[in-house]
Amino acid sequence: MKEFEFLRKDIPRVDAVDKATGSALFTSDLTFPNMLHAKLLRSPHPHARILNIDTRRAEKLPGVRGVITGKDTPYVFGVSHFDQTPLQTEKVRHVGDAVAAVAAIDVATAEAALRLIKVDYEPLPAVFDPIEAMKPGAPLIHQGKERNLVAHSTYDVGNVEEAFRKSDYVFEDHFVTQRVGHVCPEPHNCIAVWDSSGKLTFYYCTQAPDLTRMQLAKALGIPESKVRVITHNVGGGFGSRATSKFSMDFAAIVLARKTGKPVKIEYTREEESIYSTFRHKFIMDIKTGVAKDGMILGRQATIYSDTGAYCDYGPVCTNVAGAMGGMLYRFMNYKFDGYSVYTNLPYGGAMRGLGNPAITYAMETQLSMIAERLKIDPLEVRLKNAVRTGDETASGAVLRSCGLAECLEAVAKKIDWHEKKANPKPNRGLGIACGVHFTGVRLSPGIDADFAGATLIVNDDGSVNLATSCTEIGSGSNTVFAQMTAEVLGIEPGKINVVFGDTENCPMGWGSRASRNTAVGGMAVKLAAEDARNQLLNIVAEKMEIHPNDLEIQKGKISVKGTPSRAMTIAEAVRLNRYRKNGQAIMATAHWDAPSELADKVTGRGNFSFAFSFGAKAIEVEVDARTGKVEIVQVVAAQDVGLAINPLGIECQIEGGVHMGLGYALTEEIMLDPTGRMVNDHLVDYKILTPLDMPPVESIIVEPIDPIGPFGAKGVGEMATIGTTEAISAAIHDAARVWLKDPPFTPEKVWMALKKKEEGSLSSQD
Amino acid sequence: MKRSKIKIKVNSEWHELTVPNQKTLLEVIRGDLHLTGTKRMCDTGECGSCTVIMDGRAVNSCIVLAVEANGKKITTIEGLSQIGKLHPIQEEFVAKGAIQCGFCTPGMIMTAKALLDQKPAPTEHEVKTAIAGNLCRCTGYIRIVNAILSAAERLRSIQP
Repeated sequence: MKEFEFLRKDIPRVDAVDKATGSALFTSDLTFPNMLHAKLLRSPHPHARILNIDTRRAEKLPGVRGVITGKDTPYVFGVSHFDQTPLQTEKVRHVGDAVAAVAAIDVATAEAALRLIKVDYEPLPAVFDPIEAMKPGAPLIHQGKERNLVAHSTYDVGNVEEAFRKSDYVFEDHFVTQRVGHVCPEPHNCIAVWDSSGKLTFYYCTQAPDLTRMQLAKALGIPESKVRVITHNVGGGFGSRATSKFSMDFAAIVLARKTGKPVKIEYTREEESIYSTFRHKFIMDIKTGVAKDGMILGRQATIYSDTGAYCDYGPVCTNVAGAMGGMLYRFMNYKFDGYSVYTNLPYGGAMRGLGNPAITYAMETQLSMIAERLKIDPLEVRLKNAVRTGDETASGAVLRSCGLAECLEAVAKKIDWHEKKANPKPNRGLGIACGVHFTGVRLSPGIDADFAGATLIVNDDGSVNLATSCTEIGSGSNTVFAQMTAEVLGIEPGKINVVFGDTENCPMGWGSRASRNTAVGGMAVKLAAEDARNQLLNIVAEKMEIHPNDLEIQKGKISVKGTPSRAMTIAEAVRLNRYRKNGQAIMATAHWDAPSELADKVTGRGNFSFAFSFGAKAIEVEVDARTGKVEIVQVVAAQDVGLAINPLGIECQIEGGVHMGLGYALTEEIMLDPTGRMVNDHLVDYKILTPLDMPPVESIIVEPIDPIGPFGAKGVGEMATIGTTEAISAAIHDAARVWLKDPPFTPEKVWMALKKKEEGSLSSQD
Repeated sequence: MKRSKIKIKVNSEWHELTVPNQKTLLEVIRGDLHLTGTKRMCDTGECGSCTVIMDGRAVNSCIVLAVEANGKKITTIEGLSQIGKLHPIQEEFVAKGAIQCGFCTPGMIMTAKALLDQKPAPTEHEVKTAIAGNLCRCTGYIRIVNAILSAAERLRSIQP
């Protein structure tokens, strides 16, 4: 492999010192002179007609500066479907649907004012289950959406019925996954500021400033030049900040306009737990036809996704589930039907992996079940079916680089798969699973764009200011961009100052979504840096009267190849270019739109991302048969990342992804009571893993160089969490001979399954 | 709304304030003293993001009333490093990859500081127990535990 000076190196994060000293600013840290604080009044009913809203008493409370209702916010909004208004006027569709907002001199006054607003509701029948919601006679949640069915995503590739007829065995299984939350440390927050010219500056903790600007301008009906979005450090994203949070954002924006003062809204933890959107509940039927030898001939998936009262990313997640269901193995007969269904529950949204973690959990668990029934090693069945570099998958992806088989082999070796399988220990079990996720994406229905941008200026001290369209949400993208710039320009990464999160001073792009930063954002950075490099070489070549090809850049110096003494520093070259007649700055800008495609309207197929990151996880568990508790003994995770720009950063991403995956598998679930209210909206009840719960995690980086990605790199963040739950379900079966099909695998569920198995074996003896 | 006069020493500076009795120490630190390195995540003592050291003990400042802090000595993340010179715990967090989004980092570092002040040679389990009340959603804690253990080792070699 090519030697790099600053790539494939464990370089500490460029923002780590600021974050370690507390000087790193987050949007929630900002205050402005005369700033007001606002709060939203939320519905206590899951479904009700609004008869009257009386805000008079609230308006009279000392300290209150503005009260608004839906009449003040006549805007329509949506991600996949335009089905939302910020504050409701006619009816509320879930507990927590916003109906009014108050701005006051402090949070306590705003909260007190909310209690003085009188809303008369006429409760309506509500429905909380997507299957019930589709039945005739179920309450209709949105006009014109019969059976509450909002979207139907399909794939129909090859002939799945014929494949099932030709199969030696056809397996059908039913899986249900739970709602889980992002649990971002920084609660959602925003500050809206209008200036006298009618321009809005929106300080926003978001993953996607440009997308937010587009969404806000469109909904407000003002030109996008009248909206500026500024983002500081982001305290966790995981998809929850991949779109505007419409009620909060517009309440702040309208109250700021009404009062003429900056208005801040910050979620409480209770609000954060449920109204920051969450990963949807999926109800899945998976059907797989296999030959005796374990070759998969065809797969069919039917999925009902509970999108809640509004769509947000719901139909997108269903569509992604369809795309990812036809990715890992070499079958070419694939049918997918994904239904997004409205219910009277808070709505879900984008979360790390979109619909991928749920469908991969179901499909991979079923493949482990198939391996068991056919008495084939679960590792073997995967290697036998695995897609390889050069393949085109059932869902239409062209795999220009694929390290799936390598990942499987690597985790098996590291965990001692064959040895441990041959000599099982009591109550211990091993499971293996794999997954794949995209690097940027272009999915129908959606915007036909998959680009990022970068602009850089070389300073006269030989350092660089680099502006990127990608928000640093903690994934380490700023560090990766600094390394790439350093590599191209021969400058230390510490001399690259990366700025992001300002729609007026950064180039445009689609934000930190879809594992896009390293590769799509990185390619824009690489192109801009190469342009600047050429400019530098040309100046020096002109001065030295030599061809630019005869020059090289290293360690901040531009020198003649083979004659290092004939040299000029980058700083000198910058000054030479600036301080002369027709002088110029060394500045370059680039955008890169990834070569991905929208799907075919009939089959659903398409090469929806330019590169895919594959991975595998092998997990060992111990099951306590008396209590049903599942102890994770160890996790081995391998991931194909293309060229590993920063192995340290990648390992950090993998470990964090495993942590989130373990929560999905074992402890995390948003619990709703029979009236659609979240029960466990505190961190003491919604259990993410603590340091004491965390098992050892071994990360393995696999590097099949991608022919398109910058320096061969691909995305990392989302794949890191996929494969965990499915490896654990297989490991639990290996240890305790029970298949669980509805995570989280709590001690109660495991114990009940063990009890049922015991009773079954007793009755079969009778 | 009853108010009280309090005097607190934050990062070696004394502050005299009149505060509503129900105001939390976190609100005073972030709102009145503008020390925004201490973070608000849950407001109920469940996450550890707002951890500061009060008279030698790590406390969740969101569930300490400002009046309870009267007369006490408080160190926040801003008080840990000298200008331009990081504390060894901070240096190890940077070097070991223990930081991602960075929102839990100040609280995590302050908990680690209180631990190492009391127990210079903790076991891995003691480190995990000490930070069990500090939630992190990005890292999986592995690098954080490693950073604290190696900071402990470095601090012991500086102050034997």
